[in-house]
Amino acid sequence: MSANRWLATGNFFSTYQEEQRIFFTHSDRTIFSIFLVLIFVWPILFPLSNKYMLVIDNTLIAIIAIIGLNLLTGFAGLISIGHAAFVGIGAYTIASFCTLIGEDHMLITHAWPLLILISGGVGAFFGAIVGLPAMRLKHLYLAIATLSFQMIFIWTIQFMDFFNQGQTISVGRVYWIFGKVSRDQHYLFWYYAILVFIVVLGFMVRNLLRTKYGRCLTAVRDNDRAADAMGMHPGFTKVYAFGLAGFMAGIAGALHAYLYRGVGFESFTLNESITYLAMAIVGGLGTLPGSFLGPAAIKALDLLVEYFAANVASLMPSSQDVATGLRPLVFGLVIVLFLMFEPRGIANWWRIVRSYFKLWPFRY
Amino acid sequence: MKKGKKFLVVVFLTLIACAFLLNACAKKEEEKEGVVYKLGLSLAITGPTSDAGNPYSKGVEDYFNYVNDTKMLGNDTIECIIKDDQYKTDITKRNFEDFLSNGIVLYLNYSTGSTLALKKDFDEEKIPTIPASFHAGNLVDSSYIFLPIASYSEQTVGLAEYVVNNHQGDMAKVAMFIHPSAFGRGPVEDLQKAVEAGLKMDIIEVVEHGKDLDNTAMLQRLLSKNVQYVICHTVQSPVATLLTDAERLGIAAKSFGESGKLTFLGVHYTGGNDLIALAGAASESFLWTTSYVLTSEPGKWTDKQLDLAKKYNRDDKTANSHNYTNGIMVAQVAAEVILRAKDKGLEITRDNLYKELLAMNGGNAFEPGSTVGPVTYSETDRAGVDQLQLYVVKDGVFTAVGSTFQSEYIKKIK
Amino acid sequence: MTYFFQLVVSGIVVGSIYALSALGFVLIYKSSRVLNIAHGQIIAAGAFITYALTVWAGIPIYISFVLSMIITFFLAMSVERIFLRRLIGEPIISVIMVTIGLMSILDGLIYLTPFGAENFSFPKFLPNTPILFGGVSISWTQLVGVIITILMIIGFSWFFKKSTMGISMRAVSDDQLASMSVGISVPKVFGLAWATAGLSAAAAGTILGNITGLNFDTLHAFGIIVFPVVILGGLDSVLGAVVAGIIMGLIQQFAKGYLDGNFGLYGTGQVLPYIILLVILLFKPHGLFGIHEIERV
Repeated sequence: MSANRWLATGNFFSTYQEEQRIFFTHSDRTIFSIFLVLIFVWPILFPLSNKYMLVIDNTLIAIIAIIGLNLLTGFAGLISIGHAAFVGIGAYTIASFCTLIGEDHMLITHAWPLLILISGGVGAFFGAIVGLPAMRLKHLYLAIATLSFQMIFIWTIQFMDFFNQGQTISVGRVYWIFGKVSRDQHYLFWYYAILVFIVVLGFMVRNLLRTKYGRCLTAVRDNDRAADAMGMHPGFTKVYAFGLAGFMAGIAGALHAYLYRGVGFESFTLNESITYLAMAIVGGLGTLPGSFLGPAAIKALDLLVEYFAANVASLMPSSQDVATGLRPLVFGLVIVLFLMFEPRGIANWWRIVRSYFKLWPFRY
Repeated sequence: MKKGKKFLVVVFLTLIACAFLLNACAKKEEEKEGVVYKLGLSLAITGPTSDAGNPYSKGVEDYFNYVNDTKMLGNDTIECIIKDDQYKTDITKRNFEDFLSNGIVLYLNYSTGSTLALKKDFDEEKIPTIPASFHAGNLVDSSYIFLPIASYSEQTVGLAEYVVNNHQGDMAKVAMFIHPSAFGRGPVEDLQKAVEAGLKMDIIEVVEHGKDLDNTAMLQRLLSKNVQYVICHTVQSPVATLLTDAERLGIAAKSFGESGKLTFLGVHYTGGNDLIALAGAASESFLWTTSYVLTSEPGKWTDKQLDLAKKYNRDDKTANSHNYTNGIMVAQVAAEVILRAKDKGLEITRDNLYKELLAMNGGNAFEPGSTVGPVTYSETDRAGVDQLQLYVVKDGVFTAVGSTFQSEYIKKIK
Repeated sequence: MTYFFQLVVSGIVVGSIYALSALGFVLIYKSSRVLNIAHGQIIAAGAFITYALTVWAGIPIYISFVLSMIITFFLAMSVERIFLRRLIGEPIISVIMVTIGLMSILDGLIYLTPFGAENFSFPKFLPNTPILFGGVSISWTQLVGVIITILMIIGFSWFFKKSTMGISMRAVSDDQLASMSVGISVPKVFGLAWATAGLSAAAAGTILGNITGLNFDTLHAFGIIVFPVVILGGLDSVLGAVVAGIIMGLIQQFAKGYLDGNFGLYGTGQVLPYIILLVILLFKPHGLFGIHEIERV
């Protein structure tokens, strides 16, 4: 342990406990606390329009989903091309409750935190079931298994009357201590609600990763035979990784249902699954900061390209086709460029910036 | 930093710089006199159903430009913000919130899915909405959605009535071929109700199609059940495959109701020039109903639409698309209510436009010219044009059959 | 019984198109272990190029079909050169994601052309009347499609069995290091694998376009439906792709013919391939003809 608890310019660990601390120095902790306060305070100081609030809420939900996907794909090395289906399972859990007991039932409008957790549980259950083939399959074959789960999920939703055949099932407005959340407060309210979930889940995952249960994920990814020899059960670990990812996705899905006040199958298609994968990769696989940076970057890019396309369209009238074609083009280019030039994702930039400041101003 | 990373950063920065630069350029437009009325349209210009959405958006855009260029509203202008949502409900919602903060007075929507999903928002915001989806379910539990023309259910029942009236022999045996979504399933129940209410036909089977390459199995099955008529309610591409397969099997009727063969009929989104483009000669004698006037039928409107397309440099394909007409017609209705409210000296607000829309009936009915009948709305009837026209493909073009008609049974089952 | 045979015939028609689409997919996987998710977009691009040459440039369809295969051959080769060459040796997920990015890029490029949003159909160059054998009918377009598919498959098998290039491709798929040591250029083989995949994709796209008409949504959906086919056949078996394509076509037609409309089921033809896919993955992951390389965990 370095003598100065505020600054540490090098590696002074003398025990494993020290290495596993969440915050290495006091300044880390202080900066983080200030940051946390800031993200809770800014919407009150600078109110945004509903559109941007919706985008931000949506990004936060994607962050929860990506934390799950990153545990699965980044830490445990299991590729999933069906993450949107797990998110869908969470959303459809809420939708099923709405169909069964009515969208304005007390349970849905008042006990929503409980329902969101239940959705997470249902997501975890389905995650573990889909993960069962992981006992036998590796790599690409597993990726294809998750793809087929995605297709079967969409078919089930579209052909079952219970799920309104994929049509929107609406979800009622929720209540909290000050009464019903009105339309004006809706997006702000869910900003805070989702934020609370993220902070809790974020700390949970950060802690998980420094325990036996977190480290066994990485061990199985790096070498499953060695992990087996060390006494871990690789098959069980993989199923458990799928369960964890399903839990996160389920919570994200339930939040999505409440935020959009309705559930329809369009939000959980193969396209969305691919977007989730792109977020995880751009953020940086196998890093926790990447789970936060990836969704933010992709959503910001989406807005930026839309803005760009709209401006192109206004400059060159009747070239709407050109402008709209740019959107997938730029999206694809960003993914490909990242993979070619920065395969470790934005999280790597974050790491570089941090290590720069660690030694600043004496960089030699 | 490695060379690659630098490159990536440069690409990003250029992109951001371009966006801002473009924004600066775009904002240099001259200040207009008069008031600007803002409208919003969110639709699928790319992605699924963009073959319909694309000409639709051009129709809306051109007509509002026409309104502004010909000073139809005096010095006042209409600014319609058009945004692509790729047929994704989530993006539609985002666009809608964006439009609201821009202060729109009327909203134009597109897909059935998003209309149903945002139904509550329209009611809470009290904003009159005209979707491109004619799904009858849009009107249930909602009072701010106005369909441009008769609902899919009304069109389907209308077609069924045509079948019953012209069928020779005993009970007509009918199958339905529908899109596997809310959009497709809507009219099924209404047709069943019409049959219960006394429409003399048997619905033998309701088929939901997928992305099929070959419909042989299904067509043979229908034939073995003595089905004679197939009413289609989906988009063009699956109907085209269905028609080519029927033609190949030699079971497509050459004239209406030919016995031992199948006669195909379709609702608004199944038809149009795109169907002929996809199915070619197999589309011959396909029957289609809609409320729009087609450019293949010479007349006053045809010239007007072609002139409009020419004025704004649209290609032939767009100019002759019925979805282009559809877009124009929606814009016509929107411009008309604004004009009416303005003439009465009312302030242009959501509420006043809503009242104007509801008052559009009786002597106040609106004749846009682009449809086969007048647009009428009231408290109880929020479907615009009630008249339908039947078209049949003859020598590669849709030609009108008989005069316009209205569905009788749809009133009985309401 | 006629009904049954009709289903068999349509199953074989649909199946042979699956086979041709899956062929390109397997070629890429076999040589470079890349799962090409953008395959559907390449199929669509091939079909659009044929259309543009036939209708806009006025070249007879027989020639434009061959031209389009050649163009797509070089297109796919350059895709490999630009995007995938740099990623040799990177983890599998990066490579899959590059093909996903590629899919998005091709989507964008196609939206810049009229093909993105509009529908087209090939001019009819074959007789319209169906061919009948005792109640079972097949159209000329389908028949010609099946014949071209069979010819191409025979051509490919000859290529792999007899030609030097084909043998070196097989060698690379067997053992990269060993083939490098005998002087085979591995990157060149990868490029060639993509190029031949592009060629077969263009053929598949054109045949498909003649049967269904040109609609971008319908065409690129084919990139996903090949997954069940290649898994059933074994990811690295050319023969497997062909056999599994036809089996899958038959299963789909039988499902539609005998399941749909009974028992209140619909669209079984769409979902059944994926259910079979899951079952195969659980019990026989290397498929019918694949090499047994799956390790148990």
